[in-house]
Amino acid sequence: MGTPASTAGLRIKEKSRRKKSSANSFALIFILPSLVLYTLFVIVPTLGSVYLSFTSWDGISEDIRFIGLANFAEIWQSPRVHNALKNTLILTVSLVLLENVAAIAMALMVDRVRWFKNLFRSLFYFPTLLSGVVMGFVWTMILNYNFGVFNQILNAVGLGSWALDWLGNPDYAMVSIILSTVWKGAGYYMIIYLAGLQGIPTELSEAASIDGANSRQQFRFITFPLLAGSLTVCMVLSTISALKIFDQIAVMTDGGPGFATETLTYIIYKVGFGELRQGFGTALALVLFVLILIVTVIQVQVLRKREVQH
Amino acid sequence: MKESTRKRIGEAGLFLITLLVDLLFFFPILFNLMSAFKSNGEIMRDAIAFPTSLYLENFRYLLTETEFPRAILNSLILTAVSIVLQILIIPMAGYAIERRQAKWTNFVFLYFLAGMMIPFQAYMIPLFKELKMLGLYGSLAGPILIYVAGAVGFGCLLYTSFVKGIPKEIEEAAEIDGCGRYGIFWKIVFPLLGPVTASMVVLNGLGIWNDFLLPMLALPSGEPKTMVVEIYRYIGEFSSRWDMIFAGTALSVIPVLIVFVFMQKYFVKGISSGATKG
Repeated sequence: MGTPASTAGLRIKEKSRRKKSSANSFALIFILPSLVLYTLFVIVPTLGSVYLSFTSWDGISEDIRFIGLANFAEIWQSPRVHNALKNTLILTVSLVLLENVAAIAMALMVDRVRWFKNLFRSLFYFPTLLSGVVMGFVWTMILNYNFGVFNQILNAVGLGSWALDWLGNPDYAMVSIILSTVWKGAGYYMIIYLAGLQGIPTELSEAASIDGANSRQQFRFITFPLLAGSLTVCMVLSTISALKIFDQIAVMTDGGPGFATETLTYIIYKVGFGELRQGFGTALALVLFVLILIVTVIQVQVLRKREVQH
Repeated sequence: MKESTRKRIGEAGLFLITLLVDLLFFFPILFNLMSAFKSNGEIMRDAIAFPTSLYLENFRYLLTETEFPRAILNSLILTAVSIVLQILIIPMAGYAIERRQAKWTNFVFLYFLAGMMIPFQAYMIPLFKELKMLGLYGSLAGPILIYVAGAVGFGCLLYTSFVKGIPKEIEEAAEIDGCGRYGIFWKIVFPLLGPVTASMVVLNGLGIWNDFLLPMLALPSGEPKTMVVEIYRYIGEFSSRWDMIFAGTALSVIPVLIVFVFMQKYFVKGISSGATKG
């Protein structure tokens, strides 16, 4: 034991070094479980996809044959893949537009309505609580040709001649999936827009209305521009979720009739697990991943720029 | 005076429009719940009519004549265990990343966030090969670990931003009182993170409860999997027992609606805070 005065400096240095390394080891212990699981069950299989995409693996046999870029060449040429890409594009663009328009309209209604605000918000949000499978089943029943509610209503109002097999008709199957998915998805984005609306100071619209702006002008020049932040988030989130849609297609149309509603996610599943071409499936999965990456990055760039301008 | 009556009319008009649109929105759910209490004949005859009596035969059949109870149990286990593990693991990581601001923790944070961009389909095929290699294929443990791993990115994002708002002085005071790192975290910081945890529980819990693709592919065939997967299977197999399938969907939806009614605040908070930070 030395005298305190002579060793004080050393001790402080030693203490701070020890403190730092103990801080590091505590942080590592806290982070480690997440790090291990995430690496093992997200990153490793993703890298596995990159590897398998260069093979003709069927998903079962031990024999994993390396075939270079053949899978990607097939993607480039296959009419079925092009059709799936086209369907994915139609689905995504329509969903993003319709979901966001519906969500903004719903948010405005709930924000402005005087009575039962909470109840109305909950009712709009309810559909988002359903799984894609349940939602798909309910809409399959509503759109059923023989006894579905929709055709029943058409009959009741004298439009019986418009009744159709909505999901069995290649021209309407995609429209049906899009509209029922808007029903399911819009409530989620409504919550985000509502939070945005509540952040807009009421003085602004009050001042505008004193200046004689009508409610349409107020929306156009005040409310909508100030929702730019929420719009960015909702556009990005709705795009990603539209690109990933799977459950309702599985239930409502199984990609059909023919290939009318086969999207990129659905073809990955069909090819990988139905046709046992998992090498080709992973190559398609990587295309989906890259597509999501590119679209998101572009969207964030463009929309952020727009936010700044306003 | 005239101005105020006009305002009244405007308010009433908006109320009626909102009510109408909302009822339209609610109809498919009402239709689902109603049909669960009707026989097949009634559903086909008049799909819009209310059930005439409290008809419980669909539920009785589903719960006694099929293996649906096993599926309910699986859904409950998957959801509950995954959520508990997420709570045990993810908040700690978020806390450590935020408090230990070092180069390597920042890197780990970015590494976690990158995962939020990777769609499940992009890694699902090798994932099943991996589950087989690890001997986890066909058991509930596989999906549970995958759910926990998949929640790390978004979870850390949520927790780091909330830990930021907790003053460090509280932790320093506890350290002086002789509290260890674990004690500080679990006894002092974690309780303060209650609202974030509640949001994560309800949002992730809902996602797991409703998930379809992962349990369908990762659980053994020939046995009941989860409620959602069983419903999907029944749609294909018993293509005309609509009554029974409606009862199954009602059983899957009703608990969610109940949880939502009581935890509404946390759904809303989770969505809007995740959105502004994301």
